[in-house]
Amino acid sequence: MIDRRGTRHISPRHVAARAAVAFLTLAAVGTGCTGGSEQTANAKTPPTSTASPGTGGGHTLVARNGIGAGQITIPGAEPEDGQWLRPAKDYASTRFSGLDQITTANASQLKLAWSFSTGVLRGQEAAPLVVGSTMYVVTPYPNILYALDLSKPGGPAKWKYEPQPLAAAQGVACCDVVNRGAAFADGKIFYNTLDNQTIAVDATTGKEVWRTQLGDINHGETITMAPLVVKGKVLVGNSGGELGIRGWLTALDAKTGKVAWRAYHAGPDSLVRIGPRFKPFYKTDQGKDLGVTTWPPDKWKQGGAGAWGWISYDAALNLIYYGTANPGPWNPEQRPGDNKWSSTTFARDPDTGEAVWAYQVTPHDLHDYDGINESILLDLPWKGQTRRVLVRPERDGYVYVQDRTTGEVLAADTFGVVNSTLGVNLQTGRPAVNQEKEPQMGKVVREICPASPGTKDWQPSAFSPRTGLLYIPHQNLCMDVEPVEANYIAGTPYVGMNVKMYAGPGGHRGVFDAWDPIARKKVWSVTEDFPVWSGALVTAGDVVFYGTMDGWFKALDARSGAILWRAKLGSGIIGQPVTYRAPDGKQYVAILAGVGGWPGAIVSAGIDARDSSAGLGIANAMRDLPNATTKGGTLYVFGLP
Amino acid sequence: MTWAGSIFDTAGTPAERIARLAWFLIIVSAVTYLLVLVATGIAIRRARARRTRGDLADTRPETAKRLTRNVAIATIATTLILLVYVTATALTGKAIAWPLNARQPLTIEVTGYQWWWQFRYRDSVPSNWLTTSNELHIPVGRPVRVILLSNDVIHSFWIPELHGKQDLIPGHRNTTWIQADRPGVWKAHCAEFCGHQHAKMQFDVVAESPAQFDQWYRRQLASALPPTDSAAKRGHDVFVQRTCIMCHSINGTEAGSNVGPELTHIASRPSIAAGSLPNTRVNLGRWILNPQLIKPGVRMPPNALSPADMNALLDYLETLK
Amino acid sequence: MRTRRYLRQWGRIAAICALGLALACEREKRRFNDASPSAPAYAAVTLDTLQPGVPSPELTVKSPSEGNAYDIAQGKQLFEQWNCSGCHSHGGGGMGPPLMDNEWIYGSSPENIVATIVEGRPNGMPSFRNRITANQLWQLAAYVRSMSGLEAKAPSPGRNDGMQYKVDEQRTPFRTPRASASKTLPAKSERP
Repeated sequence: MIDRRGTRHISPRHVAARAAVAFLTLAAVGTGCTGGSEQTANAKTPPTSTASPGTGGGHTLVARNGIGAGQITIPGAEPEDGQWLRPAKDYASTRFSGLDQITTANASQLKLAWSFSTGVLRGQEAAPLVVGSTMYVVTPYPNILYALDLSKPGGPAKWKYEPQPLAAAQGVACCDVVNRGAAFADGKIFYNTLDNQTIAVDATTGKEVWRTQLGDINHGETITMAPLVVKGKVLVGNSGGELGIRGWLTALDAKTGKVAWRAYHAGPDSLVRIGPRFKPFYKTDQGKDLGVTTWPPDKWKQGGAGAWGWISYDAALNLIYYGTANPGPWNPEQRPGDNKWSSTTFARDPDTGEAVWAYQVTPHDLHDYDGINESILLDLPWKGQTRRVLVRPERDGYVYVQDRTTGEVLAADTFGVVNSTLGVNLQTGRPAVNQEKEPQMGKVVREICPASPGTKDWQPSAFSPRTGLLYIPHQNLCMDVEPVEANYIAGTPYVGMNVKMYAGPGGHRGVFDAWDPIARKKVWSVTEDFPVWSGALVTAGDVVFYGTMDGWFKALDARSGAILWRAKLGSGIIGQPVTYRAPDGKQYVAILAGVGGWPGAIVSAGIDARDSSAGLGIANAMRDLPNATTKGGTLYVFGLP
Repeated sequence: MTWAGSIFDTAGTPAERIARLAWFLIIVSAVTYLLVLVATGIAIRRARARRTRGDLADTRPETAKRLTRNVAIATIATTLILLVYVTATALTGKAIAWPLNARQPLTIEVTGYQWWWQFRYRDSVPSNWLTTSNELHIPVGRPVRVILLSNDVIHSFWIPELHGKQDLIPGHRNTTWIQADRPGVWKAHCAEFCGHQHAKMQFDVVAESPAQFDQWYRRQLASALPPTDSAAKRGHDVFVQRTCIMCHSINGTEAGSNVGPELTHIASRPSIAAGSLPNTRVNLGRWILNPQLIKPGVRMPPNALSPADMNALLDYLETLK
Repeated sequence: MRTRRYLRQWGRIAAICALGLALACEREKRRFNDASPSAPAYAAVTLDTLQPGVPSPELTVKSPSEGNAYDIAQGKQLFEQWNCSGCHSHGGGGMGPPLMDNEWIYGSSPENIVATIVEGRPNGMPSFRNRITANQLWQLAAYVRSMSGLEAKAPSPGRNDGMQYKVDEQRTPFRTPRASASKTLPAKSERP
């Protein structure tokens, strides 16, 4: 384990313990037990780690599918066309590619085909898009959009578009000046800039078609998310829960850039676009103007709850699904009440923005558990019936399986070490808060797990219908906190919490899991030294890709977790890998390398870890990152020889 | 501001019991003291008489026996009186403990800052929680539970007419209770030395009928309305574009800082500067211009405003009723 | 004989009292209402040393808060309450750069720091012009300097009562400030 000074201890007892756990896990897996109770989800599942820390790899002896392999369908799935039009690949957010040239047999032969330096040395979180024979890459601030010509050798740039966002926006971006990518629709590339503009660029010529100013940095707002285009509307959400913003989701007309509707995430029902169609499943989410009554007077106006993460869309139900971010300030004593609608999953009608149902995952959030993670839409067999669900590996440490027509939670099981809550009550929908881990003014509360980045943060998981498994990149961090009084001064941080994070039990800070959503447990698991902050990709060749913060880009067998191939890139990887078929007919995998983001800011922004509260407390957990990697900003493309 | 307040002018149950105990102790102690003085006087006179007679000491055995008897009686009497004191104190303590059969009490969190007070009224609905500064209203006849917190150093909560003192200790949560049995307006004080302006860290207490209290409460919950006339509009701009917004909050505006007292209804308060200055336009202007002349060492700095800006600001603050 | 003994006794007492008075006189002055050099006086100071022709002799404005324990403590309170710690943490940085290292992009003298706070800086430092008074600006600047050991030890803040996230300012060693903006890897001695 790594103690608070950053010294690593490995004892023979640790190795023996791991071997014992591995053996028992194999035995359990072999007998096919399902686990989990009907009423209340189990509070704590020990991580089934099968690798010793620091090796960056792991393997089990058994390759198997999940229970639902071949039986789970993806709603709205389209035939594979070799392109990558939006970061999540499809509207169900599976990040699954039907390309199968790269397989478990030949992945070990992958080699670098070409690379491209973006010229920007901050955290690279974007997913490169591939439309026809062009690849599009969005950089962190200053948010340059590059179009690369895949029909020519070396992928040279065709054009670049520079929106010149306000430099001052860097001063209100909480967690590095990242951008999670663009979306393609209707001949245009749509993406957001740090200073709150949404821009439409002609995908062929690179000329700006329209740009719309959606927010104000003087209110602490920024935009970092990748938009989603649904039925001619561009969906955009803002960031700034650490600066007391008013969170919203806005829909713009894709042709003109005019705002079609905006739904706020706090305030009276009229602002939240809650109306007669709104039917939340749980009693605790039912009532009038809960966005006002669950806050002290007027505090909902500084309540945070942006929407800086992922959106999914079900065309058959005509619903979009997304989650809202943390309430502000972090200090919970300043905002008694449930603080709706922060940390809430919403289902809305994309045409009008009306809310159809909502489920507040974390009422009265105590630990910055944003609710913005991806919702993967699946139609799966559940207790004898086929249910239309959304699966979400959440910040608070549970994998939620919810009926996406009503919002009912079918299961909520931990996929990491969790002591901040003691299980989710499936009758009431509310998590059982552990009072011992509740922050209190004037006191330091220690060893809260998971820490604020949660068991999993924004980094998106991937689902393979062939294996029936969900591939979850995430972390293993715990923290000490001390609340202090926060003062709202518009344009400055509104947090009120001193935080110090460190590695959780086991000593490893990163985990990559294969999770069976029907069996509700891990099938295989790999531990990593650093948090696995990159996205995941899974292909029909049954290969899973992800990257580590010290720069290893890896390919694993999707069934067994055996490592097939890896390459050390110029900088740590926090981006989203994609795969495509190039004009030459071959399959390639592309990934941006450039460490940063919340845990990587110690490198990309030069944070000083002698102050263990730096970077909202994460610097303490990442002290050794500067030894392992340096800044970068390069796109790498790999293919078979 | 003149000192006003007396622990004998009781207006509520805890204060009454404490005052009763105080009178009891004073009277019994006074009587005992007089008796001791009289006895001492007698002893001195007798000693002088003996010196005149030429005896230095009275060594007769019956005198010794009498003296022993008297000292024994005095000792027993002292012990009994002290036991009575202890019992009386214990009974008073029991009587002023939190009434366990109290129906739904009003709960108020009091946070002490150097050198002002913040009050946060709790409610079952979060949007009815009221935060206000330096002025405490309570309904008559209803027990009020007071939770004591401190933002910086040790202060002490003391409303002389209503109860005894209880400290506000940083990092710790103390609880006490008060109850007013008749309406009134009183001045309360910080009772633990807490720095330069401890002496001027006061607050106003108003006990009123439940109906009046509800009316006041609902008015205080309302956010400030945007100013309508141009002078107040300019004053609002001065407030949010200059130093004020760094430390003060006004619900309904961009100002949301808790460094200093919240000002949403400043115009409705009888006093400013933590109860130490009557709330008039002139005083408010003097205070804003240079608080250091009134309370040197207070955390609010001097604010160099032009006369036009100052007048506009005062116009705006006067709309915050 | 007796007089001489009295004189000796009282003489000793008088000497001790005089010593006490002398010590008591040197007490730190707390300027509650002084007219300090107003903040715009910093405008006379340059941001860096590169000047065409022959560089002019350095103009300085004396900060009234240097070496004053009360001012540095007030600066620390303001630093927390006005959300400077929201971006700069307790010197380690976050949204904003670290203030506890010896890398100073915009100058490390008190007047340079006051200038940074008043004017803001291009990559995200807000401008607090008209929001913070002159005395408070000098207090903040003194505290910021103490975070990297540039203030004297005695007046610098000591250990926190609450969470210990770093070595307190009193024990932070002095390191020569460098005008640079490289934000490279921390120096070898700082790495764990």
